[in-house]
Amino acid sequence: MNELATLYRYRQLLAALTARDLKARYRGSILGFFWSLANPLLLLAVYTVVFTIFFPQQVIPSYPLFLFAGILPWTFFSAAVLESTNSISSNAGLIKKVMFPAETLPLVVVLSHLVHFALALPVLFAAMGIYAYFGKATIPPTAVFVPFLMLLQTIFVAGIVMVVSSASVLLRDLRDIIANLMQLGFFITPIIYLIDRIPSRPLRALLRLNPMTPFVVSYQDVLFFGHLPGLADTLLIVFYALVSVMLGITVFDRLRDTLAEAI
Amino acid sequence: MSKSYRLWGRRSQFATLKSALLKRDLKLTPEASVAALKNVSFVIDRGEAFAIIGRNGSGKSTLLKIISGILKPTSGIVRVNGRIAALIELGAGFHPEITGRENIVINGIMLGLSRREIENRFDAIVEFSGIGEFIDQPVKTYSSGMYVRLGFAVAVHVDPEILLIDEVLAVGDEEFSQKCIAKIQEMKYRGVTLLFVTHQLDQARNLCDRALWLDHGAAAAIGDPARVVDDYLQAVSGGQPPTAVPAVDSGGPLSSTSKDSEEERWGSGEVILKRVVVADDKGRELVALGAGSAVAIEMDVEVRVPQDDFVFGVGIYHADGTCVYGTNTDLEGLMPQHLDADGRVRFVMPSLDLVAGTYRVDAAVHTRNGRAFDYRRGVLRFVVGSRVHDIGVYRPKHQWRFEGGIAFREIDNLKRNVPASIAEAMQSTEKKKK
Repeated sequence: MNELATLYRYRQLLAALTARDLKARYRGSILGFFWSLANPLLLLAVYTVVFTIFFPQQVIPSYPLFLFAGILPWTFFSAAVLESTNSISSNAGLIKKVMFPAETLPLVVVLSHLVHFALALPVLFAAMGIYAYFGKATIPPTAVFVPFLMLLQTIFVAGIVMVVSSASVLLRDLRDIIANLMQLGFFITPIIYLIDRIPSRPLRALLRLNPMTPFVVSYQDVLFFGHLPGLADTLLIVFYALVSVMLGITVFDRLRDTLAEAI
Repeated sequence: MSKSYRLWGRRSQFATLKSALLKRDLKLTPEASVAALKNVSFVIDRGEAFAIIGRNGSGKSTLLKIISGILKPTSGIVRVNGRIAALIELGAGFHPEITGRENIVINGIMLGLSRREIENRFDAIVEFSGIGEFIDQPVKTYSSGMYVRLGFAVAVHVDPEILLIDEVLAVGDEEFSQKCIAKIQEMKYRGVTLLFVTHQLDQARNLCDRALWLDHGAAAAIGDPARVVDDYLQAVSGGQPPTAVPAVDSGGPLSSTSKDSEEERWGSGEVILKRVVVADDKGRELVALGAGSAVAIEMDVEVRVPQDDFVFGVGIYHADGTCVYGTNTDLEGLMPQHLDADGRVRFVMPSLDLVAGTYRVDAAVHTRNGRAFDYRRGVLRFVVGSRVHDIGVYRPKHQWRFEGGIAFREIDNLKRNVPASIAEAMQSTEKKKK
């Protein structure tokens, strides 16, 4: 609760730093903000070409759309967590020289990746529109639930990021550990496949233990399959979001006082 | 309050990772610790200007960081009442890729202003920084001077109740430095509590009400800035701790206790000011003086150890503590040649242009870098009398002249007492003071 009050007090700072982050990223480049659209656009184009021309026999129709619906939330998660490992140490000047609420730094990373995620969604909808024009898919009305999923996922990512960013100040190896875990994570999350199609039952159970699984599956539900997420997935999402944010606040509070010294 | 830093070695880092992974234990055990501050304890009153001096590595910056809340004390508590702004490093929050304008906003928010407050102060900040048209350029294109100026400009416009300043006044050119000091004096005047860390000892002496000398993390001296600075200089030049002032063959070091309760006195005692008086042009000792009369401050000097580096100085203070005037032989370009026998120094003022009131005199003899042989603070007091109830401390020689259709009738008020009720009227009618 205390943490939320702090965040509210520093909301302008969060907003200003996020804007700074986004501005600074593209300042001086000719295409500027277009680059945050270019990446998902290119990705979608590549998937479309690969899975309609090279591997046309797909069990899932309009496979690129399915892929894209899962890849966007995954990228949000993995990029934010990975980048947050540096968020505090790369702002050592602030932590050491300014009375500064350190948690804003990892949260700014989350928010700026959330913006990228949000900017990529229109690309997905445009692609759906094109598929729909050719009668191969429809834009599901359940897509209106995406903001709710994004809210819960942002809370979930924020909690993880608070743990990771503060712990990696003390454990520099964490960045490399996480970079490798993320590569593994991409494959143990049902992004490129459907979890129900996996023949091995224990493996399915194992994949369900991955906290990102219910998130990605729910996005696919509302963005691709056009139905609401299952009750189990919904409860899991809420559960993971709450646990993650509580863990994040606890760990960050414990490490907060050592940050300015250990950095 | 104490602070110790933990030292992280290579081995402990490895142990950390191992224990974190194997024992799921995030409790970190450092190899050793170093005490940066040892039982430092003091109170600073609202509106006070407080200097912290000391050698490099004595814990000055750590102290400021703890007060500002950036670091936590290892033991003890720090209580701060009021909005605090810390200038540990100017422009610490600036991002090189975005413009000065955007950085002002972000820096201001970081220092606790709201967006609206920043908008209101924006022009004043830009004006003060002297950045001009470059305000819309990315900060990475700024010179280091511009960077620092912008940082200072933002920080002083935050309107803190408590301002912590860490050696930042040393940067910037002479002009900006003056501007900063003027701004700081203005803030002091408005009742802002100031804490300085500085190596410019004359700043500590001139700007501050009290000073703290930190020596290896412990408070070595605290109190009157001139005195603390002097203790510090004694220790730096002599390498001795402050309590052991070097003894002199003929007579011990000067004690800090004073015969007269008003006076504070300190110094090595190698040269002493035996007698300090205010005298008229005929050499008669005076206590009450008429405004505008010719007077001199006389010092009888006793030389116990001959010196070749020496400065005589005097300071005149108003009863409220305002420094009316201070100077010394070094400031006025007098090069010391020899000081090998007793003598007398006379500081002659042909006309004492002071307003009525009580004044205090400091007299000192010290080396050119400020190490005192004998510093006598408040060595004497004198009273200036005047029949004119003008105000202030300094009375410039002046006349009232009127031209055109403005005329006054002169009242001879010089020879009688002025009733308070019409003092103001008479003050304005007074034409000339003989």
